[in-house]
Amino acid sequence: MIVVDEYLALQAFRGDLPPGVPEDELLLPTSRHWRILQALHAGRGGQLSRLLSQLSETGRAAVRFPHPEMLQVLDPRPLLDDAAALAARFGNTGWLVAETLAAGRRYGSSLWFGEAANVGRLLRAAARELGVRIHVAAP
Amino acid sequence: MTGGWLRNNGHVTIGEELDEERRRRRRAGDPRLTPSDRELLRRLTDGDLKEEFQAALDAVSDRDPLLSDTADPDD
Repeated sequence: MIVVDEYLALQAFRGDLPPGVPEDELLLPTSRHWRILQALHAGRGGQLSRLLSQLSETGRAAVRFPHPEMLQVLDPRPLLDDAAALAARFGNTGWLVAETLAAGRRYGSSLWFGEAANVGRLLRAAARELGVRIHVAAP
Repeated sequence: MTGGWLRNNGHVTIGEELDEERRRRRRAGDPRLTPSDRELLRRLTDGDLKEEFQAALDAVSDRDPLLSDTADPDD
């Protein structure tokens, strides 16, 4: 099982992961699915929301309710305590960074991203300190 | 147990067959996506809409004090 970001999640829906990404079960932290869903459901403004509104009904369902064979959205409850500890340790990181770090620690001490810009400085620094490897798999 | 269950004499186990079948389905992608859905998602992750996608993700974090790393612990 590997923990992935929003880019690799969308690529998984298409069945087109970049070379180098292990053919394994993909896990998406809840906070990262939340960011995709926010973009999907935003009813006003933003070119992205307008573009996502072009998805078919079944396509929207695939993104809203991922099939577990394509992608599993992680249950955040078992990660909460570790995430809270990490948030405190690294100066109130926020849920996105804390949950991602906790997920990475639990599942193979690795995190997989589809875009370097999506890693973020704080996550990168904290991961280094925790020994969590960050992989960026470009298409 | 039969050769279908155990890897011997070059046989593929049932577990391996199931894994391979799962991999095949994953490589095919979610059948709920239409060809135009797939093309739109491709543009978001490795096409002309990539920057737009990243900006939208960042905007969600910026708007949400729980998600972002700028939350005031005294709030």
